Amino acid sequence: MIEPFPFIGLLLFSLAAGIVVTMISEETHSRRVGIIFSGFAMLIAFYMLYLGVTSGSINVSESYPYYIPTFGIQFLFQLTPVSFLLAFMATIVAFVTILAGNIDREEERIATSLILLFEFAAIGLFASSNLFLFFIFWDIGVIALFFMIYLLGSANRRRAAMKFIIYEIFASLLLLFGIILIYFYTPVHSFNINYIATNAYSIPGNMQTLIFLLFFVAFLTNMPVFPMHLWLPEAHTEASTQGSMLLSGILTKFGGYGMVLLFTMLPIGQAYSVYVAALATVSAFYISFMLMVQNDIKRIIAYTTIVEMSIILFGICAVNTVGTAGAAYAMLAHGFAIALLFLTAGSIKHIFAERDIRLLRGIVSNATSTAYVLLTGVLATTGIPLTAAFIGDILIFIGAVQAFSIYGAIPLVTIIMFGAYLYYVLNKSVFSAKEETSPVDYIGMPQKVGYAILLFFIFLFGLLPFVVLNFFNV
Amino acid sequence: MPDTTSLLSYVVPLCATLLIIVGMAGMLHKNRRLQFVSTTALLAVIGMVSLYMFLNGLSAIIMDSLAVYQFSMFFVLLFSTALILVNLLSYGHSNDYLSFSMLMGFVAAGMFTVAMAYSLIAILLGIELMSLPTAFMILINGKHHVEAAMKLFVLAAISIAMIAFAIALIFPYSPSLLLTSNLVNSGMKGGYLIVLSMLLFVSGLSFDASLFPFNLWIPDVYQGAPGNITALLAGVNKKVAFVALFEVLFVVMLPYSPQFSVLFEILAVVTMFFGNMAALVQENVKRLFAYSAISQAGYIAIGFAAASQYGSEASIYQIAAHTFMIIGAFAVVLWLEEKNIKDLKDYNGLATSNGFAAFTLTIFMLSMIGIPPLMGFIGKFLLFTSAISAGEIILVVIAIVNSFISVYYYGKVIFAMYAKRPREQMSMDWTVATVAIICMLFVLLLGAYPQPFINAASIAAGSLSVL
Repeated sequence: MIEPFPFIGLLLFSLAAGIVVTMISEETHSRRVGIIFSGFAMLIAFYMLYLGVTSGSINVSESYPYYIPTFGIQFLFQLTPVSFLLAFMATIVAFVTILAGNIDREEERIATSLILLFEFAAIGLFASSNLFLFFIFWDIGVIALFFMIYLLGSANRRRAAMKFIIYEIFASLLLLFGIILIYFYTPVHSFNINYIATNAYSIPGNMQTLIFLLFFVAFLTNMPVFPMHLWLPEAHTEASTQGSMLLSGILTKFGGYGMVLLFTMLPIGQAYSVYVAALATVSAFYISFMLMVQNDIKRIIAYTTIVEMSIILFGICAVNTVGTAGAAYAMLAHGFAIALLFLTAGSIKHIFAERDIRLLRGIVSNATSTAYVLLTGVLATTGIPLTAAFIGDILIFIGAVQAFSIYGAIPLVTIIMFGAYLYYVLNKSVFSAKEETSPVDYIGMPQKVGYAILLFFIFLFGLLPFVVLNFFNV
Repeated sequence: MPDTTSLLSYVVPLCATLLIIVGMAGMLHKNRRLQFVSTTALLAVIGMVSLYMFLNGLSAIIMDSLAVYQFSMFFVLLFSTALILVNLLSYGHSNDYLSFSMLMGFVAAGMFTVAMAYSLIAILLGIELMSLPTAFMILINGKHHVEAAMKLFVLAAISIAMIAFAIALIFPYSPSLLLTSNLVNSGMKGGYLIVLSMLLFVSGLSFDASLFPFNLWIPDVYQGAPGNITALLAGVNKKVAFVALFEVLFVVMLPYSPQFSVLFEILAVVTMFFGNMAALVQENVKRLFAYSAISQAGYIAIGFAAASQYGSEASIYQIAAHTFMIIGAFAVVLWLEEKNIKDLKDYNGLATSNGFAAFTLTIFMLSMIGIPPLMGFIGKFLLFTSAISAGEIILVVIAIVNSFISVYYYGKVIFAMYAKRPREQMSMDWTVATVAIICMLFVLLLGAYPQPFINAASIAAGSLSVL
């Protein structure tokens, strides 16, 4: 139990203030301003983790006098274990993104303020206990990332940003429709997630199915999982390093968190969990095969996101405590690991001015720290013991085996599949000593600090899982 | 002895008359600044008085033709605010501000008449008073606007004829032409003539409200007219037609709500699709906004299809939201047009030459798409919820599909503006900047904290139903 102090309000307020201050600061100072504000947010989140760990549970709820009775909307925030882990991860990834992501120091003011806006949206979304607020923060986040891709990406960013916004707005409109339907079919019209979760059984079955499908497709698009994944590889290839870190690190978790909510909220979710599991399995296998023909290092990492999110969906649709805890843990781990991978990919692009693995050779001899961090990042993604992803994966598959018996272990194969390709890439491009690509530039201290922070959290949550898992009563 | 209520209630008609007189006086003294200050002051007086009467819930009937009640005061307030903005725009950008101001006096009088109408004749006169001077406004502002003016003039004449015929058709059923008089079925079976009259009313008002089969003039006229008058047409004239529809359908023809509900379902669907589909292929930005305004009219019609007090509340909110969005957008577009930036390809890299213009246009367009927490989102949300509470799920699905389509063409403009192109700086003049800032503040604040304004809309809708 955390003491009654308005942590979430403080977080949101300080980030909102940060956006304003960044926008009016000078171009050369804006990054520092962003580091201060997002660092402050990170410290608050860390303090909350400390309080949660010492007291053994996370249960925060705050309400504010902003109130729209017409929709029954209050500014009511709460943090469950799942949402707390994700919000915690979001503050750290956003901090590292501002600190280290913009290696070429381009358009720092606009980039920093967009990142702060996105962080604001992410924390608001994870903390909101009201579907209407959830939707509002969702759209703010999507718009912030749209501008992030469009303004700061590479050559074909226009097309990628268009694709991204079309998919995401499609998802958000389905979500809106679902939210309105759920509002009308709860006994007392309400958007409150807790209220809906306790009263959803009274919604008629057909309507529950419709609402479930609307939410499901919306979150599926955002996660993304096959067949709605088409926006992601392109968005990643064209986005800047910062954009990619936020996209894979935090935005995909919007959908993941939504799925957790959906399966806890609607009882009909149980009935469809087998089909969802089948879809997640298909997605994981299909994307693993897709991944094996990619040559662009950012594209490869982007595809691993889809595989990971498919596995997380697999854990969520097991609909039991272990599976859900595993999914939350895997999302936390994936956020750190994928941010680390995109950061190293950005560094490699910066150092060698090249992203194609067929042309990159001997990274280790010219960019040693980046090469070893990349190795660690790949290990962390594939769930090697002592890293956080290991705990997440093992919990997911325990949950899945409980729910689907032995078939629950099938997607485990995909981790080996994409892991094998990543090790092949490492072997070929990073640790081959026969020929060397010559560097054109070097990375600075901020990038190394960024690596260190992300690695610290990957190993922290890998080595000390039980502290956090206490929240879930696993 | 007359009490303050009845004295105050005469202020709005009096000021509207004064507006016409001041407008004509302007032709004599030929002082632009004096003219601007006096018309703005009169509009401000009207706005403040109507706000006072709205907040205190005063009601009065003036000579059996105009009524002061919360619905009318809400719209008098909205129209006077919008007219102040358009007046400011025209002061900075009209070739012939004095004649614009004179004609605006008539237009304003017509708008207030429709908003306060208590009889069908007042609606007819108000619409007439409003639409004919608009045609002359377009005509006097430059030489290339003759075609647009001609189109508007002919169509306004047709629409007035239709409304007059509609009034004639329900006259046999009605003891008087007051809005509140109950329609009695005098022997003719089923009241088919009343339904016919309703169709004629809707068709006649659809010209101005830009609902589907009667909106083909909109893009030509919006494109041909100078930007300040386009803002007037899209921001205010259109809304006046919706107000007249409220008064006719929700008061006079309330017993026939199942019929007009079906009618507006169809109108909403075809109008949304027409506007959005046509907007997809536009290259001229003004034309694009014209088509987007048509699709927005389709959204407003959803509230009519819901045919409930909740529906009219939602429509009222969306009408107000669209007023601010479109006036702000056309203000920026007007300024760009004067710099000869008209087509989508000219908009490339606008953000580098004037960041403020690109930012405000982006806010207005995001609001039109319905992105939270902007005003357009709250309006759409209210409309969708009202339609679902009336059981019209399919209509909501279609509206959502349309919102999705609209992302593409608004996105095109946003994309063009933020493309990285080196361009020289352009500075914005104060009239456009002021109008854009005021509209943006409305869109942001009433979107972020909508409750007071939703309450106002629901009070207005409630007072309409008990008139």
